[in-house]
Amino acid sequence: MSNGASTLYDVVIVGAGVSGNLIAKQLGLAGKKVLILEAGLPVPDSREEYMNNFYLALAKTPESPYPALAGRTGSQQNPVGVLPDPSKLPTPRATVLSIGKAPDVSYLVQAQPWIETHDPKLPPQNPPPDANGNIRGLQFSSTFERNGGGTSWHWLGTSLRELENDIQLQTKYGHGVDWPITYPELQQLWALAEKEIGVAASTAEQEPLEVVGLVYPTGYQYPMQSIPMSTVDDAVSKGIAGLQVPGTLPDTPGGSDPTMYNVFVTPTPQGRNSEPYDDRRVCAGNTNCIPICPIQAKWDPTVTLGKALDTGNVTVSYQSVAYNVAVDGTNATRIDYYVWSRDANGNLTKVSKSVTGKIYVLAAHAIENAKLLLMSNNWNGIANSSDQVGRNLMDHPLYLSWALAPEPLFGYRGPLATSGIESLRDGEFRKYRSSFRMEIGNEGWNFSKGDPYTTALDYIQGTNNTGTNDGGPNGAPQRLAGVQLAEKLNNILTRQFRIGCMFDQSPMAENRVTLDVTNGKPNNVDGLGLPRPKVEYGLDPYTMEGFRMAAYVCSQVYQKMGAKEFTTTGMGSAGDFTYRGVNYHYYGAGHVVGTHRMGNESGSSVVDASQRSHDVPNLWIVGSGSFPTVCTANPTLTLMALAFKSADSIIAALGS
Amino acid sequence: MSTNPSTPSEATLQAFADMSAALTGFQSSFIRPFLDPVNLSGTFYSFAVSQVGQPRMDALLAAFNNLNNQTPKPTPQQIADTLLETSLDAPSLQAQLCQSIVAMWYLGSWYTPGVLGGNGFAPPALQVITSQAYTKSLVWNLAQAHPMGFSPFVFGYWSQQPASLQTFGVDTGNGGGQ
Repeated sequence: MSNGASTLYDVVIVGAGVSGNLIAKQLGLAGKKVLILEAGLPVPDSREEYMNNFYLALAKTPESPYPALAGRTGSQQNPVGVLPDPSKLPTPRATVLSIGKAPDVSYLVQAQPWIETHDPKLPPQNPPPDANGNIRGLQFSSTFERNGGGTSWHWLGTSLRELENDIQLQTKYGHGVDWPITYPELQQLWALAEKEIGVAASTAEQEPLEVVGLVYPTGYQYPMQSIPMSTVDDAVSKGIAGLQVPGTLPDTPGGSDPTMYNVFVTPTPQGRNSEPYDDRRVCAGNTNCIPICPIQAKWDPTVTLGKALDTGNVTVSYQSVAYNVAVDGTNATRIDYYVWSRDANGNLTKVSKSVTGKIYVLAAHAIENAKLLLMSNNWNGIANSSDQVGRNLMDHPLYLSWALAPEPLFGYRGPLATSGIESLRDGEFRKYRSSFRMEIGNEGWNFSKGDPYTTALDYIQGTNNTGTNDGGPNGAPQRLAGVQLAEKLNNILTRQFRIGCMFDQSPMAENRVTLDVTNGKPNNVDGLGLPRPKVEYGLDPYTMEGFRMAAYVCSQVYQKMGAKEFTTTGMGSAGDFTYRGVNYHYYGAGHVVGTHRMGNESGSSVVDASQRSHDVPNLWIVGSGSFPTVCTANPTLTLMALAFKSADSIIAALGS
Repeated sequence: MSTNPSTPSEATLQAFADMSAALTGFQSSFIRPFLDPVNLSGTFYSFAVSQVGQPRMDALLAAFNNLNNQTPKPTPQQIADTLLETSLDAPSLQAQLCQSIVAMWYLGSWYTPGVLGGNGFAPPALQVITSQAYTKSLVWNLAQAHPMGFSPFVFGYWSQQPASLQTFGVDTGNGGGQ
């Protein structure tokens, strides 16, 4: 069915991820004929192969289970093994292992090269602020997948709703832009998404968050009971009882918010089963939601894809990379795509095909959607009269801090995160600095330090890479053996925990995705000869002031608990920056948004509230790329909610 | 001692397992269980020999047997401290091999002897030895937990205190830690 020339589909969707699969399912249920073009490999019959990839991966990064694999055998010179060359791959993607690297291993072409020293003893090489206080030339650090099921194979499962003030930031606080959709409508759409995912939560447990404006329609109940809080959550929750912090720190640019805000822990609504749901098992606490749930207790887009296929109206064409959306006059008329395969010798071959439909939906990921729009019409772009395609690229830049609790709190158990501090997500301070949520990790110092590996080797070898091994004479590191080694590691590992803070980063027109093309010629291509996305990224003072506040709040949390903080910054690697003389480090959250922003005005936005192109009326451009701002909740629930709205609008546009 | 790495003798394998138990602080039943279809100790022995050569392994096991046969018999902790040379400023090549063997059991991966980490993270491993080396790696027991991605526990266990460290296999109170 991949040769669509003879079949007229009602709708052709690019991308078998969260949005594409959900829209396909809704259309299939309505009796519409749908073709999904998925760039990557099919969803495997069993996830055993992906699990084995994960077990054998030297670096257990989010991408580690998924093709194309990085080499597994390392060396001193090349500790993560050989990374694949994106110019040889049909569907290269951004990976953690290639962040900050040159285009020979990094699919994303970063506008500014990064000087990696990996040596905290050297002075930071961080770029200086410009005249407006913005720091430009940073590396975009979020990654994504290009295989059947998409990036949400490795979503965390966090299913928080946005706050009412998240979507009216401009009206309420004079910053950023508003969303073109009302909160009551979003509440209805979230309920649909929560049912599709199977979100485990209790509205009663969320009630304390009324202080930040989180309210549910009367009588609303989540599909299943909440996930129990972990022993880590419990220790933090009890340890910070009574903690308050001000809205802003002294000398915050622009103004101050001296209000004292309560800091408290609430359980997180999660897309993992607390009871059997949709023929899937309950969570067994594998502590591996990222990169892969071994038992699919966590919802992922392949669940919804299965339901879409069950309608009998949906077909998927795998290994099909869309490269042109043809527009004749105003309407889209066809999608051109390459079907790729590898011969017996592993050589890549491609065949060009075209497919027509009445309506086209781009659901390929925020960066890939922008790339496809810009590639179309002979790389002159479509649906871009606003000049906003690719702009306002945002992430939830993530500030990570970590500490040792005074007593064991037993991390490395349960889902990766089961609770957070959501009580600081809204307040008058949003006039002056970015807001953030705080995610409490259940995985010790795995994210922070690559533990338990780093701590174990510290005490086996007598090094101090973690900062904890200073118990020898004059603070020298210890080398331990046998039961003493085992008990020491037990003492350290059971007291480790971390907090990740994710910021409502400002939209900035100059943070953008473009094609890596000069004078009509690509500088770097993929294995199909298509140009690669080039990314320009930076942070503004509003966002960075949030980092300053987050570092303060985390330290207050640790102090109140009697925990000892070990956070380090300035690692000589991509993600370092200096703000007001202090070094920070941001990680990518994988929450890539903003590249085809939605709005009511066609002059300043790419799509409307139903994610329909302002310029091309039979084209929908869907996913987190439509978010006008990144807000304070993890984006998957909301991007799925928006997909429900899009599906309804597509069905209406098709007529009966 | 056997000189053929592909077919080590039973005595060699038992010596390797006994030494591994002392070095890691784990009970023998966690290192070489009576019923042992996975045979990690055999896999690890062969892998280490393939990396450092038979003579170095033979010499190490000879040193272990020599210690283990002393009268009075040293405790596992004394054997571990002696072989890992914890009282010396710098470990010998033989002690570095012992470190790699401990790392193999704890982390399921091979770390080339003597290669130290730096700049805040662990040294690079050469490879994860096998999938089962990962899913049975013992450092997770030291966290009273399970390998990430391989939980034998059931829904909600994370809201309860874990079982004791001894239950997780550490030889606490049995000649260790003295």
